[in-house]
Amino acid sequence: MDDPPPLQKIAISGPTLASLIHRFSTTTSSSSIDGLLFGHVTFVTPLNLSDDSSDTSQTLLATVTGFLTSSSFHNTSGTINTTSLRRLIPHNTSLLGWFSGRRRTPLRPSLREFTITSSLSSLSQFSSTIKANSDSNSNSFSSSSSSSLNFNPSLFFLLASPISDQTSHIHTHDYRAYQFITGTQSFNPVSVDIINIGPAFRGHYGSFIPNSPFPALDCQLSYSPMIRDDDDEKLSKMKQAAKDQRELDICSEGFEVGRLSKLMGSEAKNYTQSLEDLYLKMLVKIENLTALVEESSAKVLQQENHNKKLKHKILRSAAAE
Amino acid sequence: MGAGTENVPPFIGAQLNHLLSHSRPPLKIDQMWSSDKYNSGLIDRFTLLIPYCLDFIKWDVIFDAESPTTVPDVIFGPEDEHFHPFHMSPSVEPNTNSSLLSDWNYKDPACLLNLIQFLRDQYVLYQGKRVGEVDDDRLKFEVSTIVSREGLEMHMCSFADKSEEVKFAVPLLDMNINKMVSGCPWKQLQKIYLQVVYPVGRKYMSASSAPRLKLVSSFELKALYSVDDVKLPSWLDGMCLAEYLPNLEEYLEKQVLEAVSLIDVRRRFIEALAVPLGRPVEADPVFCRKATFLSASGVFTFLVHFLIPSQFPKQQPAIMLQSSQHFNSQMAPIKSRPISDYPWSPRWEPSLMAERIFEFLTDEALTFKRQCSEGQVQL
Repeated sequence: MDDPPPLQKIAISGPTLASLIHRFSTTTSSSSIDGLLFGHVTFVTPLNLSDDSSDTSQTLLATVTGFLTSSSFHNTSGTINTTSLRRLIPHNTSLLGWFSGRRRTPLRPSLREFTITSSLSSLSQFSSTIKANSDSNSNSFSSSSSSSLNFNPSLFFLLASPISDQTSHIHTHDYRAYQFITGTQSFNPVSVDIINIGPAFRGHYGSFIPNSPFPALDCQLSYSPMIRDDDDEKLSKMKQAAKDQRELDICSEGFEVGRLSKLMGSEAKNYTQSLEDLYLKMLVKIENLTALVEESSAKVLQQENHNKKLKHKILRSAAAE
Repeated sequence: MGAGTENVPPFIGAQLNHLLSHSRPPLKIDQMWSSDKYNSGLIDRFTLLIPYCLDFIKWDVIFDAESPTTVPDVIFGPEDEHFHPFHMSPSVEPNTNSSLLSDWNYKDPACLLNLIQFLRDQYVLYQGKRVGEVDDDRLKFEVSTIVSREGLEMHMCSFADKSEEVKFAVPLLDMNINKMVSGCPWKQLQKIYLQVVYPVGRKYMSASSAPRLKLVSSFELKALYSVDDVKLPSWLDGMCLAEYLPNLEEYLEKQVLEAVSLIDVRRRFIEALAVPLGRPVEADPVFCRKATFLSASGVFTFLVHFLIPSQFPKQQPAIMLQSSQHFNSQMAPIKSRPISDYPWSPRWEPSLMAERIFEFLTDEALTFKRQCSEGQVQL
């Protein structure tokens, strides 16, 4: 198999990046976090094409659409656990790579990060198919020549906060993205494009591919046949799924599919009032939901701090022995 | 980063203490800080200053105060982005030494030491490989003649203006200087190195141009022998290290042997001083570079300090007087300036040297006493 061309850019939406940074900056149970990056890889046609250009080399654009904070796919010495890794990847989602965030450290890949990235990049069973750019005119060319190319999870996104940060009211977070090149065993820095709202990003909206993994709650009960679970475990998972489903149903109360269908088509204008009602209800529910999230976040933080204190106590007494 | 070591979690502290007290060559902590933004938390990040090739490299050791029992991570210097100690061989699989990480045992304080020592050994190989990749025939030849020397270290340095140079730290003299000094207080094996610096990639320079040379020794060796005083033999046109080094080593060997024999010459001098001045109050018993005697002129008591150079008797000692009765405004005892204008000849017997110094001191004591009582001491 041919190696795919190098990544030219990594695109990440503003909210995704903000959420990643938020997750990094609010972790209190550890001074570092890591996890997986999901998204898709597409071919991009260079913009500076000219008639006499013999350079027809293509480049790739990786778009990060989501992440999952979990370090269970590797151990502390950097060895990848492929079974855990497979479980962490949601259905129909492509793994692009991973991220690491560590507080008050230099913004350079570390010894462990090199090992993990190098191993992850070599796992071709987790590679994703490179999509052809849909709005490009040279579609025929890219699809014919590159349909067989795969992208290994070779993306590495590093987050760090500066070592000396004297201002206590401004939180600084630095980040850098790399693609790991297996051939030379080295990190190749890649520029990051933050997709935002604004005229400069209209192109992105034009080529928008809906990608919403929500609900992340696994209600499908479909597992890869590669993973064999014990029956007990399976049953408890089914119960959990049913419970999740019930909770979801409560959230969508009043929005039954039958009623929603009335809002479609030509009849819709007769139901303006009911449409506004629905929006209002939705807003109230979202407001309630955010309040709930805020409340539970506070509780989680409280518990984390408590755990932290207990852990320190245990370690102190263990060291004193 | 003014945080004390008491804020280091115990398990991390044990690893660090073991590292600092056992690592050879000795390394230092350049900086330590907390992963907590406000630096109020426990210290879990450390910058190590590791001696390498007569210079230092800085590596950051990243622990996590929240789980002090887990293996730390290491971040190497910004210029060493291609240094991958567990992937030195071309195979994708990390080598067996990665057990240093996977078998990390927080209860064994030697784990960090073993890890850092392994990483440093790999770093020596890595730099050697980088130097080997430089496309320069002359350099390749020079390397081939010295590469078998045990303890040789090389360093490839790149600068902002894209110029590069290769540094060698060539260990000289295959002798154990520590064993030659009786009652040797040195914990480290004392070594003399020749630092050789070759600029590379400058094609316009003539191929035979001399490298930059400098002698460097461990700091403690200065008590016996200072390499700063050595005038290096000149580098002749078209010379190579294989020709240069044997002459230099022969010369240095003579110098070191002489320096060791000079210890006894200084000892005899101090013993000779004891005849007119009495037993020294304080003396350096190993290198005999310092001796202090208590003396009196009438009721005026004072201390006489002798600072004996390593080149003694070629160079004469410096004498300093210190009053036991007069103090300056900061309540420090009044001292004279270092005196060297006294009768002296390197060819005299130690007893004659001591005799003439005693005679000189009888007069000088009166001058010093007058200066002390006037409170006007020339410094």
